Amino acid sequence: MSGTVTAVRAAAPAPGRRGPRRRGAALPPPTVVLSLIVLAVVVAWSLAPGLFTGQDPVAGVTSQKLLGPSAAHWFGTDHLGRDVFARVVHGTASSVSSALVAVVIGVVVGGAVGLLAGFLGGLVDVVLARVVDVLLAIPSFLLAVIVVSSLGFRTINAAVATGVSAVAVFARVMRSEVIRTRRSVFVEASFLQGGSRTHVLLRHVLPNASRTVLALAVLQFGLSILVIAGLAFLGYGDPPPASDWGLLVSAGKDYPTAPWLVYAPAAVTIATVLSVNRTSRWLRGTG
Amino acid sequence: MSNTPPLLRVQGLSVAYDRTEVVSDVSFSLPRGGSLALIGESGSGKSTIARSVLRLLPAGTARARGVVEVGGTDVLGLSERRFRPLRGRTLGFVPQDPANALNAVRTIGAQAQEAAALTGERDARARRELVLETFSRVGLREPRRVYDAHPHQLSGGMLQRVLIGLAVLPRPALLVADEPTSALDVTVQRRVLDLLTGLRADLGIGLLLITHDLAVAAERAEQIVVLRGGRVQESGPTAQVFSAPRTQYARALQADVPALNPDRHRLPLPARAPAAAAPAGAAPKIEVRDVVKSFPGAGAPAVDGVSFSVAAGTTHALVGESGSGKTTTVRLLLGLDAPDTGEVRVAGERLDGRSHEQLRTARRHLQLVYQNPFTSLDPTWRVDRIVREPLDRYRVGERAGREERVRELLARVGLDERLARRRPSALSGGQRQRVAIARALALEPDVLVLDEPTSALDVTVQAGIVDVLVTLQRQLGLTYLFVSHDLALVRQFADTVTVLRAGRVVESGTVEAVFTDPSEEYTRALLRAVPRPLGVVPRQPGAPAPAPAPTAG
Amino acid sequence: MDRGYLGFAARRVGQALVVVLLAYVVTFVVISVLPGDPVTNTLRNPENGFTEADVARIVAYYGLDQPVLVQLWESLSRFATGDLGVSLRSNLPVSQTIGDVLGSTAVLAAAALAVAVALAVLIAFGTQYLPVRAQGVLRALPSLFLSVPNFVIGLVLIHVFALQLGLFRVIYPDSAWATSFAALALGIPVSAQLAEVLTAGLDHESRQEYASVARSRGLGRTRLLLRHLLRPSSLPVVTVLALTVGELLGGALITETIFGRTGIGSLVESSVTTQDLPVLQAVVSLAAVVFVVVNLVADLVHPLLDPRVRKPPTRPSAEREVLAQEVSTP
Repeated sequence: MSGTVTAVRAAAPAPGRRGPRRRGAALPPPTVVLSLIVLAVVVAWSLAPGLFTGQDPVAGVTSQKLLGPSAAHWFGTDHLGRDVFARVVHGTASSVSSALVAVVIGVVVGGAVGLLAGFLGGLVDVVLARVVDVLLAIPSFLLAVIVVSSLGFRTINAAVATGVSAVAVFARVMRSEVIRTRRSVFVEASFLQGGSRTHVLLRHVLPNASRTVLALAVLQFGLSILVIAGLAFLGYGDPPPASDWGLLVSAGKDYPTAPWLVYAPAAVTIATVLSVNRTSRWLRGTG
Repeated sequence: MSNTPPLLRVQGLSVAYDRTEVVSDVSFSLPRGGSLALIGESGSGKSTIARSVLRLLPAGTARARGVVEVGGTDVLGLSERRFRPLRGRTLGFVPQDPANALNAVRTIGAQAQEAAALTGERDARARRELVLETFSRVGLREPRRVYDAHPHQLSGGMLQRVLIGLAVLPRPALLVADEPTSALDVTVQRRVLDLLTGLRADLGIGLLLITHDLAVAAERAEQIVVLRGGRVQESGPTAQVFSAPRTQYARALQADVPALNPDRHRLPLPARAPAAAAPAGAAPKIEVRDVVKSFPGAGAPAVDGVSFSVAAGTTHALVGESGSGKTTTVRLLLGLDAPDTGEVRVAGERLDGRSHEQLRTARRHLQLVYQNPFTSLDPTWRVDRIVREPLDRYRVGERAGREERVRELLARVGLDERLARRRPSALSGGQRQRVAIARALALEPDVLVLDEPTSALDVTVQAGIVDVLVTLQRQLGLTYLFVSHDLALVRQFADTVTVLRAGRVVESGTVEAVFTDPSEEYTRALLRAVPRPLGVVPRQPGAPAPAPAPTAG
Repeated sequence: MDRGYLGFAARRVGQALVVVLLAYVVTFVVISVLPGDPVTNTLRNPENGFTEADVARIVAYYGLDQPVLVQLWESLSRFATGDLGVSLRSNLPVSQTIGDVLGSTAVLAAAALAVAVALAVLIAFGTQYLPVRAQGVLRALPSLFLSVPNFVIGLVLIHVFALQLGLFRVIYPDSAWATSFAALALGIPVSAQLAEVLTAGLDHESRQEYASVARSRGLGRTRLLLRHLLRPSSLPVVTVLALTVGELLGGALITETIFGRTGIGSLVESSVTTQDLPVLQAVVSLAAVVFVVVNLVADLVHPLLDPRVRKPPTRPSAEREVLAQEVSTP
């Protein structure tokens, strides 16, 4: 770190050069602004889908089936004459909130495991590390598939399964961050100032270690959307007439003459995940 | 009038990263076979200038304007294809940190071949001979072993010799050395600098030396350019800049270099804290007796029978190079590690073998200031909370009282109150170290352990910190244990000294006695390593300002 | 080959064995808490054509009337001796069922890996040669690849190249063209992580002092890249490459389904639907074995590639801890 700013005497308040980008310092780059707008729209869709479309996502008009995108039907209509835009908007809540559930499971369970292993060390660390190795050894999508098949084919179970398959990654990162922080000089300094173990763990180690973990959580949120879409695509989520994005793509693929049935929900998924990833990258200070 | 152009002519050079200009309108020139030092503190732009001359600035983000002529050719305007033949053959480069300057996954020999190829020698075996010959020349005793080794198998000093060897092998006209010794131990530093100046004289190579160390620059270069904030402050022949600095900054810089001002912080003993003049036989404040500490896996013990004692209100220096055991000794003293045998007493009470709770009580009177203020402060905390932490942990007084105390402590170390709401990342290195000192003082300890507290800082910043420490000692009667590798600084600051080497005490005594009449060869070697500027004698106490010295060659 | 290294290797092999057995147990536990009853669901399903005698034999073989712990122990002992059991659906040995489709998946995975590595190298080298302004697009590619669901890539490829351009026909999924596009669909998301790590490695290495020093010795860009930067940059790539094996196996599930291939992935898909537990258990355990073995090899090779690693770590290297943040499987 070359943040040493030369001042003849320390009197002058000199801002050090900042390493990672911090919020509030300057306006985020345009792509980040765009990503944040996309995410705001997605959140709004999932909270109040009715505000964005007046059409019914479940009941269709059979006479208007398989119409291409138009002013009346932005994303066209499907084989039952349902408005695809309405189905995408109404499917947002399920697609996005299930990813949120998955991330929360991953962060809470994985974070706790990593924190314990890293801070306590010794036998606890050895045992937990082996458990994490095992979870990591089963390819995570396969793990999610067998967990969801054992819990039953519902979207919430797909979310739990995705969360379980992400536990190992969070545990690993949390553990290594905790160990890194625990070895840092300022933690030793806190012990010298009379800090107890609990004080050091809660006030120094956790805040420092969780920075990285939170940035990872954002990244994992995007990945979870993809995994849950994949599970829905295979039919392991809620059955129709639910309209999870993965399910929409899966249903649409049987109508090759109506490609918008695939492209519209796919484009929404991609835009969402891309925005999440861009935001994560920005939060991590690498662009 | 001479028709031959100078070896290096820099005219109106400005360099900007993105839109920030870091070097502005810098000009200097260097005759063939001459030597010139660019000196400045961090952020002065000295390394950027070196990299502009070598055309090693990061592509895309950095833009250089102005003229850089090597032997009359403007190299800034050349295409990379036209410039490449000059690399190595005309312009050699000795980098700052030898540990990172060679590819870790390739052998030294494979990389040396690249340098040897610049001589135009086509036969690989002949090139190998050339390399081995060069290795001998730069003082590497086993050239064959070095040739086959990977970089991590050699010490920093050996690596720097390799790098110097590779740089001079194609016989360049100009050698650019960017802080060539700042990553090395002091005694190694001296030998490497001797090698560099020796080769320069033998081979007639011009030297552009980049350094933050005024004393080194004055000792090794004929001309000096003083930089600050990317601009030339002052330039001219070394002796002239030294004896009669014209600018305020150059004067301040010179006054702040310990090697040039051994007595800056010294006071006549009676004026110091009363305890310093305490009668002999009074109990020492710190007593370390025969401590031994080994770490599993390591060969020899890190600390092997070290003893010393410190009288109350005085400063004791622990001096040694890397691996001497000085840091381990400090950790034993603070109870961060337990000694295998031996005992540690502070204010007469035994500290080793105590429980965590007992240590906690003892530490109220014993605090540490770490070497690197960039790692010793939690980046997520604000300054006031950092300084208040010990008060909160020991529940000293009321909350309002603690906040008042924080303000008082910040004032004591010379920090503006407005900085209290900042996080460490928004402070300079010197400011951070002041925060660390304020935190260490919060519990009103009697003993402060200072583990190389200024080695990560620039000299002018260092001088400010040392000023603060001296004042605090006078006001509060503190006892200091001062760990350092910088003998010049020790001489300025300490009363007594213990010299450590490989975990053992080499020599111990008052600073006057050890520095003027060292009894051990190792101490003499350390003292010799303190740079002595060309023709410039360190100011003696009571003596007037040094007389202008003749220009040395 | 010194003793330290052999000791390290022995420890790592031991750990790998433990991990494989534990992975089997975890899979068993997850699968056996399935709410459905396999006996009634599968065995007594008239479509599957088991006689009462068959059902009784299978129930006895798996000890399905025994407590779960006994079942686990029996099952684990059979696994340890290489016996993977009998498919509940086809009444064939599981090893034969898997053996029939393994080749197809191996071809697909190998082709996908080749695609991933080729794309990653193209992207990473491109960033080192292009001027800074032109790098942006290339540097954004991995991020884009990571944001596209792999079933979408497959569907788009089929839509464009099979249905519109007629390059291949979906009813012949094992043709060379069909396999190539399936490999593309499977390989593109994998290439993203490799490209990110390799690009980051090359960027990091080219900023190191030794790269400047080598340039000061007159090395051109290509020689610098190939002789100096590539090897240290590819060390983390080896680690990530091993980690992506799991992703290839997981991704094959979707890719094979979309392209109508028979393989391990589609076998899992059909076993989940029919609750063919022995097949599911065997496939997941084998995937864990493959993953563990590949990562074991990567860990064992690492100290040999990097002369700095004098004492190899007893646990997967610190580097992997860091990489775990970058790599997670969609």
